[in-house]
Amino acid sequence: MGDKTDVWQGTLTLMVLRTLEIMGPQHGYGLARRIEQTSGDRLMLNYGTLYPALLKLEQEGSIRSRWGVSDNNRRAKFYELTKAGQRQVRKATADWEQTTEILARFLAPSEEA
Amino acid sequence: MRKLRSLWIRLISPFRRRDADQEFAAELESHLAMHIEDGVRAGLSESEARRQALIRMGGAEQAKQAYRERATLPWLETLLQDTRYALRGFRRNPIFTFTAIATLALGIGATTAVFSVVDRILFRSLPYAHDDRIVSVGLVQSLERQEFTVGGFFFDWRDNQKPFEAFASQQALPHACDLVEANPVQLNCIHAQAGFLPLLGISPVVGRNFLPEEDRPNGPRVALISYGLWLSHYNRDPDILNRQIDVDGSPARVVGVLPKGFELPTLQAADVIMPMALNEGVERKSSPGSPMRTFARLRPGVSIAQAKAELEPLFVYTRETLIPAQIRKDFHLSVRSLRDRETKDVQLTAWIFLGSALAVLLIACANVGSLMTARGAARERELAMRSALGASRGRLIHQTLTEASLLSFAAAVTGMVLAEGLLRVFLAIAPTGIPFLLRAGLDLRIALFTGLLSVVCGTLFGLLPALQTPRAVALAARATKSRDRTVLRRSLVVGQIAISMILLSGAALLLKSFQNMREQSLGMQTQGVLMARIALPGFRYNTGEKKMDFYLNAEAALRRLPGIRAVGFSDSLPPGGWHDDERFADLAAEGKPHTAQGIGGSVVCRGVTPDYFQALNIPIIRGRNFTEQDRTASEYWVVLSRLLATRMFPGEDPVGKRIQRLRDGTWFAVVGVAENVKNGGLMEQDEPEIYFLRHSMAQDWGERAPVGEVMSGAAPLMIVNAILPPSAVAPWVRSQIAQLDPTVPVEIEPLTQTVSKLADRPRFQTALLSFFAFSGLAMAVIGLYGVIAYMTVQRTQEIGVRMALGAGRLDILRLILGEGVRLIAMGSFLGLLSALALSSVMKSLLYSVSPHDPLSFVVVSLLMAFVGLAATLIPARAAMKTDPMEALRTE
Repeated sequence: MGDKTDVWQGTLTLMVLRTLEIMGPQHGYGLARRIEQTSGDRLMLNYGTLYPALLKLEQEGSIRSRWGVSDNNRRAKFYELTKAGQRQVRKATADWEQTTEILARFLAPSEEA
Repeated sequence: MRKLRSLWIRLISPFRRRDADQEFAAELESHLAMHIEDGVRAGLSESEARRQALIRMGGAEQAKQAYRERATLPWLETLLQDTRYALRGFRRNPIFTFTAIATLALGIGATTAVFSVVDRILFRSLPYAHDDRIVSVGLVQSLERQEFTVGGFFFDWRDNQKPFEAFASQQALPHACDLVEANPVQLNCIHAQAGFLPLLGISPVVGRNFLPEEDRPNGPRVALISYGLWLSHYNRDPDILNRQIDVDGSPARVVGVLPKGFELPTLQAADVIMPMALNEGVERKSSPGSPMRTFARLRPGVSIAQAKAELEPLFVYTRETLIPAQIRKDFHLSVRSLRDRETKDVQLTAWIFLGSALAVLLIACANVGSLMTARGAARERELAMRSALGASRGRLIHQTLTEASLLSFAAAVTGMVLAEGLLRVFLAIAPTGIPFLLRAGLDLRIALFTGLLSVVCGTLFGLLPALQTPRAVALAARATKSRDRTVLRRSLVVGQIAISMILLSGAALLLKSFQNMREQSLGMQTQGVLMARIALPGFRYNTGEKKMDFYLNAEAALRRLPGIRAVGFSDSLPPGGWHDDERFADLAAEGKPHTAQGIGGSVVCRGVTPDYFQALNIPIIRGRNFTEQDRTASEYWVVLSRLLATRMFPGEDPVGKRIQRLRDGTWFAVVGVAENVKNGGLMEQDEPEIYFLRHSMAQDWGERAPVGEVMSGAAPLMIVNAILPPSAVAPWVRSQIAQLDPTVPVEIEPLTQTVSKLADRPRFQTALLSFFAFSGLAMAVIGLYGVIAYMTVQRTQEIGVRMALGAGRLDILRLILGEGVRLIAMGSFLGLLSALALSSVMKSLLYSVSPHDPLSFVVVSLLMAFVGLAATLIPARAAMKTDPMEALRTE
């Protein structure tokens, strides 16, 4: 269980950044739901772990937050990407693609044999 | 970069995050509200939707906790919390806080001040490159304990040695030289070989070192000047290079300026360094050749012992070829580290000072540890409560350590201020001859040391009370007995008493030694005697003739003054300082086989005029003194000291006998025997002494350069005995000499002052150690008082019961006193044993006191017993006055 969360920590960051990039400013609840939807409801997020992750990104300067009003007229805190955040998404995406591509080569059925 | 930014935000967050918690609570609430809304919309009941939302959240409190841990640094939070808690505690108990900080500050301050003094002597690296590989190389003999070489073998050694990668010399002695310019000054000049500064890794800040061709006879005359001279005399003139300066009447070209703070490895003062320019061919053939101080840099990986072993064949060859057979045994090869060469004789003192200061610090730490334990006992219930509420053991220790660190940090800061003050006191009372003392100061290195001390000390006394777990029973018990706390405190007190006993014993021994030294008879008069040292500029008074004329004129002028009893000359003065020596084996009585085995020790030699004995009031006990007529006669006459007379002519009258000086074959006739005087320094045994008559002939007034001393020591000293006080006579002497030559510098000192200066070092040692001993004693006694008073209060109820059962007031007094006496006895016993074991270390610092002097140890024990009992008596008397009714009612 512990190992899994560790893996998720890294990927969760990328999911958050990527979602913010596509969707624009989002509040925490909306972000969580959106990530679940994007995964085709195959992911079940622990919402409690989302906020420390958001705080970490904010401390690192990748995102910033401000209070605003949601679609159904509720006060909520909205998160959006900063310039640094946008750069980070691009870099993290590229890294991730490379990793998956390498891994895919290992996992692909052997052609020669 | 991102990590740093994040760390910074988390670091400062505790200081600005009043509403961050509330803000997150609001965000969480808004999250839950939206989630519930969605749930209700999907058809759930309001309460079911809330339940589900909370489950997905993983619990609101857990989420808040996780968020807070990310928002701040948890350990920082704890630290701040502990600090606030500790500060609150300190404010509530200002007496405790003040006592603890003052005690520690005294310990830390004293240790810091002492460390700053001994640092350069014992630890700090020397100001040369590869200082750990630089050694002093040469011969030593009974008349010269510092390594020396001479031209006769130096070059052989240099060319044939293997263990060193560099080997070079400086001249044995700096000499007074005159810088003749618009405003002439007298300076210290020294000659050194071209390889000398590179060996030390010194390069000039401006200009360059000597070139090899400048270090040859008749080479270009060049000079390096000290930074101080550049600053004071040339105002840091950037055009100093290639400037012609006039040293002793001949020009030299400045090629460089030495770095700031440069010091010769011999620690002699030097303002100008010039090439030695020895004529190698001549030196190699001469015996002995020019005296030098030689230094060398070991090859990497070669030890001093190895180097010495490898030099042995060269040494043996030199000894067999260069040194006369009868004194050969007296010469030894010596290779010493540069640190030992510089500070060997004060290292012991330095260690004793540092040890004493650390002992005081240890007592201070124990005292504060004891205070904290007592405080811990008072807070036992509070700690037990916190423990019961879930504070872990580590958390509680953390808390105590935070308190301890805060105290020791405050003490370190106060201690630094105190150290600065103490250092000023040291400098004010310090003797000459403790190297580097004047340059001692508080710098970063010392501050780091102080910081380290305070951390060690804080951990030490912080952990002591923390070692005891608050027991759960403490919660239940209405009054805690805390027996083991008093056991700990009692052993601390025993330790404190033991350590202060050691310090006191050391101080007592030094004090007695100092008193012995002060009260000993010098065998001569010092009251009303003046010594005048006249530094004749060598380049104007360049012959013995001119010098003699000057001195004899001065003598005649002073004799004409009223109230002057005697005016004499000598090249040195008892009881201490430099004097000329002769080997006992080098003096032979006529018609007697030489009885002494080996060298027979050394004999003090002085060249004196007849009035020397009157001026110092040294009685002639046999034969006669030299007379004024003898001065112009051509015979060689001597006066022997009683000690020398009995050694050379046991059971005979030496007057009229003849003595031969073997090294040059001169015969001397003994005319008289003088009473012994103290002549080997204040602390040493008397040495036999021989007085040569200083004739009124030119060759008797030239300067003989002693090896290893400042040059001024060798010029004739004028000794004036007057009826009037020295303060009245000194200006007369000055004006008389000024009439002869207004430009010569004159240094006048009453002999009482000279003698007192010799006692400076022992006085300083005694004063410092006494200061430490009494600080230690005071703290130990306060510690003792604290423990006894605490135990008395703890036992109030017991005392009440005892009294109710019929114990008299005296019984109670005995009960409490007995407790104190046990502690004092145990501590004193331990202290005495350790002091007896340690005191032999001080042997060389003591004068006619055995390191196990029974009287000193008895006095110290009595003092400790007396002061300790007095401290115990205060709480004991209070206990005695306890009203049993009230005592039983408490608790």
